[in-house]
Amino acid sequence: MKKSIILIALLALCIGVKAQKTDTAKKEPSADSLMNSLSAGDDKHAYILSAFKATRLIFSPTTEMVRKKNLNFLVIHRFGDIATGPGGARTLFGLDAVNDVYIGFEYGVSDNFNINFGRSTIGQLVELQLKYALLHQTNDNSSPLGIALMGGTGVRPYGNFASFSDRLSYIAQAVFSRKFTQALSLEVSPVFVSDNQPIPNEAGNENSFFSLTAAGRLKVTKHMSILVDWEHPFSSYRTGTNGFQDPLGFGAEFETGGHVFTLNFTNARAVSQINSLSNSQASWGRGEYRFGFTISRMFDFNRKKEKKW
Amino acid sequence: MKYLSMLLLAWLTAFQAGQDIYICKNAKINLYSSAPIEDIEANSSQAVSVYKASTGELSFSLPIRSLHFEKSLMEEHFNENYMESDKYPKASFKGMVLSPPDISKDGTYPVNVTGDLEVHGVKQARTIKGEIKVNGGVISMTSEFIVKCADHKIDIPQIVFHHIAENIRIRVAATYAPYKN
Repeated sequence: MKKSIILIALLALCIGVKAQKTDTAKKEPSADSLMNSLSAGDDKHAYILSAFKATRLIFSPTTEMVRKKNLNFLVIHRFGDIATGPGGARTLFGLDAVNDVYIGFEYGVSDNFNINFGRSTIGQLVELQLKYALLHQTNDNSSPLGIALMGGTGVRPYGNFASFSDRLSYIAQAVFSRKFTQALSLEVSPVFVSDNQPIPNEAGNENSFFSLTAAGRLKVTKHMSILVDWEHPFSSYRTGTNGFQDPLGFGAEFETGGHVFTLNFTNARAVSQINSLSNSQASWGRGEYRFGFTISRMFDFNRKKEKKW
Repeated sequence: MKYLSMLLLAWLTAFQAGQDIYICKNAKINLYSSAPIEDIEANSSQAVSVYKASTGELSFSLPIRSLHFEKSLMEEHFNENYMESDKYPKASFKGMVLSPPDISKDGTYPVNVTGDLEVHGVKQARTIKGEIKVNGGVISMTSEFIVKCADHKIDIPQIVFHHIAENIRIRVAATYAPYKN
């Protein structure tokens, strides 16, 4: 009797245990839903990747930054007129003539802060610029735009100037970019340019003026994109009647892993925005357009991390 | 006395029922590819895993963007061109440990895990070898296997200078804690 009571009690206990087991099973989420809840949310506010492939399009800088401890080496070339008098077959459509060569370095102090240094042939303009990534576009549109701020100064060490300060120019701009689809990215950028001595140095010209640039990139294949870049100075002096033209460029960009090559056609002769915004008089309509290219090569100085395995 | 031990056993079972699910929030993933110019390696310790000891259910999820490379440009190319991580933000594995070991006993158990490996949006049925280690109630797992880029429609364009190998070695290490709700 005693034995059977104990047995029954044990049985009851076991049932109790079983019930408890199913209870806990009910409370326990399935491995699947647990997995979902654990791995949810880790993509929130993730920055979008590569609105642009390089730190520059044809004229304009982009919101792309040189990453920390990386160095971007730039060579930008603009050849001679393709179709006008000095162009044609005799100069291999302008390839014999060089209008402007820019050699530059962009260094990533941090992922969001770059120092850019470069020099152009036109005016022997030497430039130092600081670039700061204010905002990154995110996947969930919590930030719909990427914004980069840039400020710089240029000096023309050669040529006749009344004083040293006349050699200086300044540029400040904000770049607003958005990657609309996997293929299409656009940007606009208000720019302020100030030349201490107006360029060209003519009566009636202004020292300072605002401009707007607009540019776009359309990705055609994984490694090739087409580019359009346009600049417009808002200046009562820089008008068509005074012989000025808006720089307009078309290009194709090739990314090869480490290098980005841009092949382009532009009317503007100058590479530096200080030069191209201040003084662009070459016209597409008159055949004063040229071939140009940009080579951008990234070097990485991050020390090899210790292997964790 | 006999009943007492039976009672104890019954309670033990109940206790175990509460500790059937094990989770790991910081599973380590290592990716390695030997390429002609330079070896390419990436690490993440942000993979998430759930293991149900009674049934052997095992799943892993890895946010692709959490894989960090030595060179930032490599990381960008990996995400943008190969993994398209904007479109396919995660790689995952969902499967079963075949004949799951008794986790109440310490030991090292070689296991086979069978299930679907999803990388780059492409699922592949795989049986992967691994090892489950139980030490004082702590469960850890390790595994090493090869992923073929072609199996997951990851194409390697000819234009790219530093080629990535066709086969990528993946190493996984996870240490689990009992899930408390």
